Amino acid sequence: MSAPVLETENLVKVYGRGESRFDALKGLTFGIQQGESVAIVGKSGSGKSTLMHLLALLDEPTAGVVAMNGRPVSQLKPAQVSELRNDTFGFVFQQFFLNANQTVLENVILPLKIAGVGKAERKRRGMEVLEQLDMADKAGNRATDLSGGQKQRACIARALVNGPSVLFADEPTGNLDTATGEVVEDILFGLHRDRGITLVIVTHDDDLAARCQRRLLMQDGMIIADDSGEAVRSAGAGVGQPSRQGSRRVGGPGRHAAPVVVDGRGPDTGQGNDGNQGNDGNPEGQA
Amino acid sequence: MRPADIAGTALGNTMRSKTRTFLTVIAIVIGAFTLTLTSGLGAGINKYVDSMVSGFGEVNQVFVMPGVDASAQMPGSTGPQEYEPGKAQATGEFGMSMLTEDDIATIGQVEHVTNVDPIVFVAAEYLQTAEGEQFTLDSLGLPAETSGLELAAGEAPDREAMELTVPESWLEAFGTEDPEAVLGQTVTIGIRDLTQEVHTVDAEIVGVSQAAISGVGGSPMPSNALNEELYALQTSGLEVDQPQAYVQAVADVEDLAAHEQDVKAALSEEGLMAMTVEDQLGVVTGIIDTVTWVLNGFALIALLAASFGIVNTLLMSVQERTREIGLMKALGMSGGKVFGLFSMEAVMLGIMGSVIGVGLGIVVGLVGNAALVNGPLSGVAGLSLFAVDPVSIGLIVLLILAIAFLAGTMPAARAAKKDPIEALRYE
Repeated sequence: MSAPVLETENLVKVYGRGESRFDALKGLTFGIQQGESVAIVGKSGSGKSTLMHLLALLDEPTAGVVAMNGRPVSQLKPAQVSELRNDTFGFVFQQFFLNANQTVLENVILPLKIAGVGKAERKRRGMEVLEQLDMADKAGNRATDLSGGQKQRACIARALVNGPSVLFADEPTGNLDTATGEVVEDILFGLHRDRGITLVIVTHDDDLAARCQRRLLMQDGMIIADDSGEAVRSAGAGVGQPSRQGSRRVGGPGRHAAPVVVDGRGPDTGQGNDGNQGNDGNPEGQA
Repeated sequence: MRPADIAGTALGNTMRSKTRTFLTVIAIVIGAFTLTLTSGLGAGINKYVDSMVSGFGEVNQVFVMPGVDASAQMPGSTGPQEYEPGKAQATGEFGMSMLTEDDIATIGQVEHVTNVDPIVFVAAEYLQTAEGEQFTLDSLGLPAETSGLELAAGEAPDREAMELTVPESWLEAFGTEDPEAVLGQTVTIGIRDLTQEVHTVDAEIVGVSQAAISGVGGSPMPSNALNEELYALQTSGLEVDQPQAYVQAVADVEDLAAHEQDVKAALSEEGLMAMTVEDQLGVVTGIIDTVTWVLNGFALIALLAASFGIVNTLLMSVQERTREIGLMKALGMSGGKVFGLFSMEAVMLGIMGSVIGVGLGIVVGLVGNAALVNGPLSGVAGLSLFAVDPVSIGLIVLLILAIAFLAGTMPAARAAKKDPIEALRYE
């Protein structure tokens, strides 16, 4: 079995300190295989956005490891992380984040511009992806002149323009009506089905979540259920336990020799102390 | 992101908020314009001074005056000084030391000095044309300045002959506008001696001079021989031998370029000070440079104020575009490139401001120069008040770009430091 495209080990994220300390993620260990479609679901404040930010390498964990294709990203320099994001990830946002002053095409080719692709090549690839999404006729329009569904399609076009292997979508249908939302869903799952793009979708929407192959249900910074179409595990199952069976340990074996309790809080929060084992995610270890 | 894309994007971004960009650029334009004008003014006047120096050609002359003894020049600063016969005579009307006949002889004996003429001031009574008309003639040129003459016609007066040149402004006295017409005419100069008796001397007009800004050529210029004759008449009439004293003397030096230092050193040992024409104009140039730098200082203050305008504009821009910055960083733009993008925006403002300001400065400078030189100041030959010096123009542009870049670093660093998640959440 090949290394999962993304995996985490004992992922901990803490905001603030002292009185205002908030444990957003309490030690998550799981993996996402290439070509999977995964929904991260949960209530507001359950930590699903934080998890997505960590998976997308937009943020650094307080402790624990995120690895891409078996390689811990904490070993990479910031510039390499930026390049990796530009190269392998696509982002679809609930609020679109289209630049109102630019045309649809200019918005779509932004990742290529950042990557340093030449002007003609940028335009060619931008038009290509817009055509796939039936947006070619809107290429010259201002982004503000589009309807909600068109905006999200432009956003998806922007996410696809570099040919990413993983597409992150944060509430992609959150700002759309049901009919338009379904169109966008169809596009996303079509890409997943036809191109084998790994989908990681953060959503409140049960219907959208139901279309994914796998659902990670989050509550209070923990994954309380990992449903891959099999039996839903009870909330009492150990943190990260189910996915751990399918994932490899991250990093060299020697690094796991001495378990480290990162925040001195681990054992009483995780029902199983599995999540605190093999922790090589202390800051020194990441350097 | 490619450098060309960064530049293009930065330019596009400055064009988003046109009014704000326009106002910021105006501040830079004012600084650039002033700096261009003031440095052009300095360059123009110095160029004129240079052309005056080169107009003198190969001048193998030094002007010799008594060495400066500061204490002796300040009356009252020292106690009573013991009387020395002869020396007391060598003090002019303003307490200035003057040259005595002995000094003149000393100068003549210095190695490489071929000739020495004391400078004497002649105040004649009148100049009478061939037609018999008489005109007041209270100021005459100094023959020592003959080499600085700019001639409209004819030639400079010969040293030994009884000749003179007249300025262009005197042509009407001869009832003509053609400079050639007065050449060869004989005029009579009347001069009073010490007993107020008027004597006359005849001289031939050999040239017509143009007035230079230094004043050379602005009045009739006698030859050495004529000047000496007039001076002899002016100081005659009393049966008393007067000791002579001179403000300055002009010494001819063979191959001045090679012997300048030797001659100066030798004269310095005798308590005399020698100055070449270039030394004298160097003083003028120094003053012009000082004034130019003071004016440049004001322009720099304007640029300093403009730089805060850039900081302000970019800070606003960074604030407004927080989400855009977050997006760019999320899509893989490194902090360094974000910094580059925003500092490039500052440089773009600098480019716009400097190009417009410098261009405007050059146009106004050239037009103003043309208007003044051909208008109110047309009487001054070869005058230039403004010159375009490509090196200093280049330096001004570079300076403004550097200031703009520096002003941009703070906002750009702020943009580069933004956390993509925080930035995307920003409302």
